[in-house]
Amino acid sequence: MTARTRLLDKSVAQAMSTLSAAAKRGLGDPALAELVVIRASQLNHCAFCLDMHLTIARQHGVPEKQLDLLAAWEEAEGVFDERERSALALTEAVTVLTGGTSQAFGSGGGSVPDEVYATAAKHFDETRLAHLVGLIVAINNWNRVMVSRRIPPGGYTA
Amino acid sequence: MTTHTDDRTPTDHGTGTVGYAPAHTPRLAWAEQAPEVFKAMVRLDAAARKGLDPKLLELVKVRASQINRCALCVDMHSKDALAAGESVERIVQLSAWEESEHFYTERELAALALTEAVTVLTDGFVPDAVYERAAAHFEEAELAQLIAAITVINAWNRFGVTCRLVPGHYQPGHK
Repeated sequence: MTARTRLLDKSVAQAMSTLSAAAKRGLGDPALAELVVIRASQLNHCAFCLDMHLTIARQHGVPEKQLDLLAAWEEAEGVFDERERSALALTEAVTVLTGGTSQAFGSGGGSVPDEVYATAAKHFDETRLAHLVGLIVAINNWNRVMVSRRIPPGGYTA
Repeated sequence: MTTHTDDRTPTDHGTGTVGYAPAHTPRLAWAEQAPEVFKAMVRLDAAARKGLDPKLLELVKVRASQINRCALCVDMHSKDALAAGESVERIVQLSAWEESEHFYTERELAALALTEAVTVLTDGFVPDAVYERAAAHFEEAELAQLIAAITVINAWNRFGVTCRLVPGHYQPGHK
């Protein structure tokens, strides 16, 4: 697989990095941040981002069991705590706004359900929650930019 | 306050004066809670629009906002499109653009197809045919900007939907 284009305007890339860093800093939980970022990258099928963030997650000491079961976190009882689960549910809702039905753009999905939002709001105060949403948005940015340009995985070195 | 619908102003939305349902309450003032994140978004938006035709940019933004159902963004970018000189009918047709191709140029159609593919990633990838169609109409640096612009409106859409921001109050030129 070769990249379609490697071009990305420098000021765009810088602003994206600033956005990611500010969101991650404000969330204040690097291990949870990696779970969120990896789950969004799974949903968006971003190979580059998965490769990069699985590497970072291991550096932050995220348990292997969590990384193994992240794609099925809802069924992985005892592996994620309630706070993590609320963040992962929010990650999915914010990432899959369209309902994921390419056969009919605009049907299915839509909005972030009240229950998902309310559960996250129980575990994160408004400031942390705003940064969590920011982090989900930020990784969605990277996913779009990497998948669209077909940047192959493996370029990231810790 | 009149109840004549032609006299509606944005402030009528949600007041019940013309019999509409009440406006919802926003969930979260994210920009106030995360000012550094907001600042980065504003910078990113400015960086991503460089070199792109403003009318094309608004078409892309309206279409992505429709797909993601961001009410605030649909309100804002439809109005911005009009302010940029876009026609009402091209904005109206946008949600069915594949069936109304003669309203748009080949270049705009390629950009709209790319917008949909980049917006709906969860079903997998951006198809080669869609990418190549766009690459036939946009040179490489411009295409990179287009991808960035699609990415950025997706980002605003996510904030708008998640925080349930209220549409109807936007006026072009009063950002």
